[in-house]
Amino acid sequence: MWHIAKRELYDNLNSLRFALTMVLLLGLMLTNALVHLQEHPAQIKKYRASVAVALNALRSRTDLYDIAQRGPGLLYKKPSALGFCAEGGDTLLPDAVGRNDTVWEDGELKSFWTMKYPSTTPDLKNIRSDITKVDWAFIIGSVLSLIALLFTFDSISGERERGTLRLILANSIPRHTVLTGKFLGALISITIPFTLAVLMNLLVISMSSAIRLDAEAWGRLSIIFFLVLVYMCLFLALGLLVSARVRQSAVSLVILLLTWIVFVVFMPSVLPSIVSGFSPAPMTADEFQERIVQLDRELLSKYDNRLWADETLKTKQVRSEYVTRDAEIQERLNEKHLTQQIDQVQRARTVSRVSPVTIFQHLLELFAGTGFERHLQFLENAQRYAREYREFVIDTDNTDPESLHLIGVREGMSQKPVSPEAVPIFEDTFSLSRDFNAAAVDLLLLMLFVIVLLSGAYLAFVHVEV
Amino acid sequence: MMATLIRRELLDNLMTFRFAAAVFIMLLLVVANTAVQIKDYERRLASYNTAVKTHQRQLQEGKTYSVGKLSVDRPPNPLSLFNIGLDKRLGNAIRVYHGFVPTLWDTEMHGSDNIFLNLFTSIDLVFIFELVLSFLALIFAYDAIAGEHERGTLRLTLTHPVGRGYILLAKYIGAMLCLLVPFLMSLLLTVILLTTSTAISLRFSDFLRVGGIVFSSVAYLSVFYFIGLLISVIARRTSTALMLAMFVWGFLVLVYPSMVRTVINLQESPQTRTASAFNEIKQIWEEFDRERKQFFTNNPGLGKDMSFLGIMRGGDTVEHIEEDSSILQYYYRIGLCVEKLKEKSEPQVPHIQNYYRFLGLQTISTAERAWLVRERALEDIFVQPANIERILLKLSPVGVYDAATQAWIGTDLDGIRDFFTKVRQYRQAVIDYFYDKEVFGSRKWFSADKGAVDWSTLPQFSFQRSNVVINAKRALPDVCLLLMINVALFIIIFLVFVKSEV
Repeated sequence: MWHIAKRELYDNLNSLRFALTMVLLLGLMLTNALVHLQEHPAQIKKYRASVAVALNALRSRTDLYDIAQRGPGLLYKKPSALGFCAEGGDTLLPDAVGRNDTVWEDGELKSFWTMKYPSTTPDLKNIRSDITKVDWAFIIGSVLSLIALLFTFDSISGERERGTLRLILANSIPRHTVLTGKFLGALISITIPFTLAVLMNLLVISMSSAIRLDAEAWGRLSIIFFLVLVYMCLFLALGLLVSARVRQSAVSLVILLLTWIVFVVFMPSVLPSIVSGFSPAPMTADEFQERIVQLDRELLSKYDNRLWADETLKTKQVRSEYVTRDAEIQERLNEKHLTQQIDQVQRARTVSRVSPVTIFQHLLELFAGTGFERHLQFLENAQRYAREYREFVIDTDNTDPESLHLIGVREGMSQKPVSPEAVPIFEDTFSLSRDFNAAAVDLLLLMLFVIVLLSGAYLAFVHVEV
Repeated sequence: MMATLIRRELLDNLMTFRFAAAVFIMLLLVVANTAVQIKDYERRLASYNTAVKTHQRQLQEGKTYSVGKLSVDRPPNPLSLFNIGLDKRLGNAIRVYHGFVPTLWDTEMHGSDNIFLNLFTSIDLVFIFELVLSFLALIFAYDAIAGEHERGTLRLTLTHPVGRGYILLAKYIGAMLCLLVPFLMSLLLTVILLTTSTAISLRFSDFLRVGGIVFSSVAYLSVFYFIGLLISVIARRTSTALMLAMFVWGFLVLVYPSMVRTVINLQESPQTRTASAFNEIKQIWEEFDRERKQFFTNNPGLGKDMSFLGIMRGGDTVEHIEEDSSILQYYYRIGLCVEKLKEKSEPQVPHIQNYYRFLGLQTISTAERAWLVRERALEDIFVQPANIERILLKLSPVGVYDAATQAWIGTDLDGIRDFFTKVRQYRQAVIDYFYDKEVFGSRKWFSADKGAVDWSTLPQFSFQRSNVVINAKRALPDVCLLLMINVALFIIIFLVFVKSEV
C-alpha cells in the first residue's frame, strides 16, 4: 500500500498540477495574510475607540436615574482575531446593538433605554461590486476542493485508459489496498502545498506586532486544520468515486466539475433563497415601526389622563408603572422581531446543509469566531448584560432606604450618587465549549459525508471491470 | 471542405456525454435560479408599491409646507435577474428636501425585511453563464488540436488541400454552434418563465437589452473557447492541456476577481480627505447659521425664540442638524407646524413670513454650495476606488462580461446614478413650484390654522430607466474589448498553429 501511495506521490510531485497548485495556494494565502495585517488592526482600533466612547459616557454618570434612563448606550461586537480564516459576512452584519444614549423627548418619562436591533445592513451604501473575500473559507472551500478534484479525476479512469490498472491488479494486491494507496497518495500530495501555504500565512501574521494570537487562537487554528483535512478527504473520495465509475477521464472531469459547481456555487446560495422565500417572513422594518408606534399609542391612551393629574405619590407610581410597561413592551416586540428573523435564517441554514461546502463553511466560521453563530452569541451576551444592568439599577435603588423605589421616575429613585466603578460593563466573550456544542451536528454531518463517499468509492472500485 | 469540417466538429461534440451533462446542469441551474429571482423581484416590486403609497400618505399628513415629508422610491429593475448588480443592495428610498441635495449615499431601504438574509449571496443568470459557459468552452476546446494531434488525425486532415486557418475556423464555428445550444435553450426557458410572471411586463426595449446580453455572452463564450484553443495548440498533450485549462479557468473565474476585490480593500477611505471636506461643509452651514442669527438681531419684531414656540398652541417644531461624517452629510432641517395661533401673536406673522422667505432662499443657496464640495469629495472617496476596482477586474474577461451585461440592463453604477440625477432634477422642480406659488413667504409655510396644505398640485415624480441607446453606449466599450480580445487571441492562435509542426 505504501508503495502505491509513494508512487502516486512521486507522480504528482513532478506534475504540472502540483506546481500550479503550489503557486496558486501560496499566492492566495499570502494575499490573505497581507490583507488581514492591514485590516485587522484598523478593525480593532475602531472597536476600541467606539467602546471607549460608550464607556466614558457610562462612567460620566453618577445619578441613578440618569444611569437607568440613558442605559449603557451601544454595545459593540468584538472583532475576532481569526477573521482571516472565515470572514463570514461580518461586513453585512450589524456590529452593535442597543441604543444610542440620546434622550428623545423633553418629557422625562419617555425613552427609557431598551435593547434595539438595527434593521439596516451596513452594506447599504456600498457601491463596490460584491465582495467574496479571499479568506481560508474561500481558499479551501472553493479553490482547494477544485484542486482535490483535479488531483483525483483521472487516478483510476486514467490508469484504465492507459492500461496500467490491469497491470497493478495483476499483482496479488487486494483492490482496497490499491484504493487506499491512491487516496493517501493524493491526500499527501495536496497536504504538502497546503501546509506550506498555511505555515507561510501564519508566519506572516504572527510576525506582525499588531496582531497577537493567544493560546486559544492556536487551538482553534489546529481544529480548523483538522477540519480542512476532513474536508479534503471528502472531495478526494468524491473524485475517486466518479473516477472509478467512469471510463474516460475527460467525462469524469466534466461530471466532477459540474458536481462541484452545483455543490460549491449553486447550493450555498440558491437553497437558502428558496427556503427563506417559502418560510413565513418576519415583519418588515416598516411594519415593525408601525407596530411600535401603535403599541405606544395604545399604552399612552390607557395612562394618559392619570399621568400628569397631580404630584401625589400615587400618580408617581402610575408614572413608574407606565415607564416600565413601555420599556417592557418595546423590548418584547424588538425581541419578537429578532427571533422571527433568526428563525427564518436558521431554517435556511439547516436546509443548505445538504451541501458539504456549506457545512464546512459553517464550521470554519464557528471556530474562527465570525459569521452568524458568532452573531447569535454576541446577541446572547448583550441580552444577558442588559438584564444584569437592570438588576444593578434595581439593587442599587433597593439599598437606599430613602428612595421611594419607583423605577423610571426621577423623584422616585435613589438620589445618592453611584460610584462609576460599580456599574457593570459589557464584555463580549468567546467560548470554545459553546462553539463545540454548536458544531456537533455539523461535524457529524461532515464525517457522515466523508464515510458515505469513501465507502461509495470503495464499492465502485471493487465492482469495476478492468 | 469547410462545411465538411464544421459538420464533423458538430457531430463529434454533440454526441458526447459531456455535452448532455452540461446541457442538463445548465438548464437545471438556470431554471431554479430564474424561479428564485422572479419571486424575489415580485417581492421587491410589492414593497416598492407599498412604499410609494406610504410616502404619499406621509406627505398628506404634513399640514404645512415646511413639515411636509416628501420621499421618492426607486423601482426594482425587471431585468435584474440577469445581473443583479447594485440594484438590490443600494438603498431605494430617498427624501426630497429643499435644503439638501440628495445623492446615492443618503438613501434608506424601503421594505427591508430580514437583514440576516444578506448573508446568503444571491447569484444571477450572468454569474451562472460566467461560470458554466466558460467551463464548457474550455472543455470543448482543450482537446480540439491536442487530441487530434495525439490521435494522429490532425496530420490526416492536413494532407487535404485545406489551409490551417480554415481548420481553426471550422473548429471554432463548430464548437461555438454547439455551445450556443445550451445557452440559447436556457435563455429561452428564462424568457418563457419571465413572460409567465404577471409582475413583469417586458417592453420592446427590454428585448433589445436581452439581445445585447446575448451578444456579449457569445463574445465572452468565444473568448474562453479561444483561450482553450490556445492552450490546446501550445500544450500538444491532452492531459497537460486539460490541467492548464482548468487552472486558467479557476484563476480567471474564481481567484482573480476575489483577489482584486480583497486587495483593493487595502485602500481605506482617505480619512484626511473625508475630514477636510466635512469641515468645509460644516463651515458653509455654520455661516448659514450666523446669517440666520444676524437676521434675528436685525429684526427685533421677530421675537427671541428661533423655533417660534411662543406663538403656537399645539403643533410641532422640527429643528435639528442631520449629521453623518462618514458620508459627509450635514444640513439643517427646519420645520414648523402651528395648529392654532395665539391671538396676540397675530402681528408677529408678517415678520415670521419675512424670516422664512429669507430662510428658504438662504437654505437653498447654502445647500447648493455644500453640494458642490460634497459631490467632488464623494467622487474621490467612494467612486474612485470603486472605479479602480472595476478597471482591475476587467483584466479578466469575466470582469468585462459582467460590466457589459450590467451596463445593458442598467444595474451598474451609472444606471443607479441616473435615478439620483432624476431625483435632483425633481427636487429642482419642487423648488421651482415653491417659487411659483411663493410658498416660502406664505402663511402656510409654517401655520395650518387657516387650513392644511393642498399637496395635490405638487409635481409628481416619475422615473423611467434610461433609453436603450444610452445603455448600449455604456456597454459598447466593454463589448468592443471582448471582441478585441477575441481577435487578438485568434491571431495568436493562428500564428502559433501555422508555425507548429504536426
